[in-house]
Amino acid sequence: MPLLEVDNLEIAIAMRGQLLPVVRGISFSVDEGETLGIVGESGCGKSLTSLAIMGLLDGTPVRITGGDIRFEGQDLRQLNRRERRAIMGSRMAMIFQEPMTSLNPVYRIGDQIVENLRQHQKISQKAARARAIELLELVRIPEPQQRVDSYPHQMSGGQRQRVMIAMALSCDPKLLIADEPTTALDVTVQKEVLDLMADLQERMGTAIVLISHDLGVIAETCDKVAVMYRGKIAEAAPTDDLFARLAHPYTRGLLNSIPVVDRDVEWLEAIPGRVPGIDEDIEGCAFHPRCPRAQDICRRNEPKQHRIGNEHTSHCHFAEEAAP
Amino acid sequence: MTAVVQQVQDIFAGRRLASIGLSWLILILIVAIAAPLIAPFDPYEIDPIARLSPPGWPHLFGTDHFGRDTFSRAIYGARMTVLIGSGSVIVALLTGGLIGMLSAYFTRAGNVLMRGVDVLMAFPALLLALVLITLLERSVVNTIIVIGIVYATTTARILYGMTLKLKREVFVDAAICSGAGHGSILFRHILPNLLSPLLVQASFIFAFAQLQAAALDFLGLGLPAEVPSWGNMLAEERIYITRAPWLLLFPGALIILSVFSMNLVGDAMRDSIDPRFKDDIAGV
Repeated sequence: MPLLEVDNLEIAIAMRGQLLPVVRGISFSVDEGETLGIVGESGCGKSLTSLAIMGLLDGTPVRITGGDIRFEGQDLRQLNRRERRAIMGSRMAMIFQEPMTSLNPVYRIGDQIVENLRQHQKISQKAARARAIELLELVRIPEPQQRVDSYPHQMSGGQRQRVMIAMALSCDPKLLIADEPTTALDVTVQKEVLDLMADLQERMGTAIVLISHDLGVIAETCDKVAVMYRGKIAEAAPTDDLFARLAHPYTRGLLNSIPVVDRDVEWLEAIPGRVPGIDEDIEGCAFHPRCPRAQDICRRNEPKQHRIGNEHTSHCHFAEEAAP
Repeated sequence: MTAVVQQVQDIFAGRRLASIGLSWLILILIVAIAAPLIAPFDPYEIDPIARLSPPGWPHLFGTDHFGRDTFSRAIYGARMTVLIGSGSVIVALLTGGLIGMLSAYFTRAGNVLMRGVDVLMAFPALLLALVLITLLERSVVNTIIVIGIVYATTTARILYGMTLKLKREVFVDAAICSGAGHGSILFRHILPNLLSPLLVQASFIFAFAQLQAAALDFLGLGLPAEVPSWGNMLAEERIYITRAPWLLLFPGALIILSVFSMNLVGDAMRDSIDPRFKDDIAGV
């Protein structure tokens, strides 16, 4: 049984009395200790998917309109608030894109870790503090004994993100959802944080869902990849298979728009156009207005799932032909 | 404790006027606490022979039309000032603060609650106070409640807006993700971020409560007439303004000075927490 299983999830935004679909039936699963990367442009629905899994859509105009989210076999959508709270932070945790605002500015970071620990475990104040220092050390914060009493504003963005990771890992979660954890950080710090996550995953066996728009980050850290476009999974495969054989023009476009150091290129090839607005209707394949290989069939029919390899799937009419 | 002293120093350093205001308020507080020790006469003691005597010795501020010592009454009046001020602040912040925070957090109930607040805010402050006080008896407690409710409306509005903004902060999402419940999110994660604006709000309510209380006293709807408060002294002696103007001069001056001081202190505190004047929000 997979640790996390998302089955045909549909999410819509309520606007002017209408429900506009944003995530249009996506399915994926994550096994224990595995890293899944979800990649896509802004607005493709990847963040909403993570928020839906964590149950953070309450009180927003966004709602889940269909599908199941199962965690350790339990349907998260059926749980009441109390049952959900018992899972959140202990067996399932999340880190956010903005390390600058994801820590409460009025509390010392140590107190925030302690609070999270004591919320889920019967542990004394003193022991929790000792554990907080241990965790800070684990995420490589220098001088954890002193830094435990720092306020968030006294730390850099990279340090804060590491504190967030420490907090998320404080109760040994089975699953960590990381929504663009390195986007707000500069490249060197980004590398440190990714290495740290990979290292901690190896040690603690945590499964990670890594959401990113950076295919490079995904390639480096993930066991398998799901490429999302306009609320659907365009292509999904184990990382090695995906890069061995790109079976969707969108994935190819994403890859081509990354600069390569050892090749001299005058112009980077960008994907033309933009992600269509959620209120636009597109007949046929959602990617066809931007696709270099679009044919008549793409404008008429929505592509079905094509199986290329064992676990490699693509939603493109020409998936089989799109050889490397 | 030293941290508090340090912070007070930070706020008032280089603000001479605000420092004078703070000193005046501290003096009022000391006088209020030590009133029985300082006052030379019993504020209720009637001395018909000495009635309406001008300022001098032994009656520093003169006597009123019952022959009561105005200086002693003014000193006991400081007690009322502190009591009404702090009482109104507590009532206003507790009710208004709770209504504002809960309304912003539970939007459905909030829509109803905040419309109620809007209705109350539609009345001018004094008119609302008058309506409420006529429904209740004249007493110290009722005066505090009425003034507290009047200023609860603005407090509710302010906290409503700030909570709406705070509850969308990522750290609140992070708290939800770590399994925090409603109570913990509201009171442990959101409330501490509201302390600075609450403090400023408190200082202004304290000041306005004085004016409001004095106005109610003057209209004969505030504290019971025999209670020595600055507003009551004004109200009782106003018919003697030509014969014994000092009877109005002293309490009037005390009210003006105190309210002015509180506003100065409030301004200083607001400036010090305004992010535009400060580069970090450390140690709130």
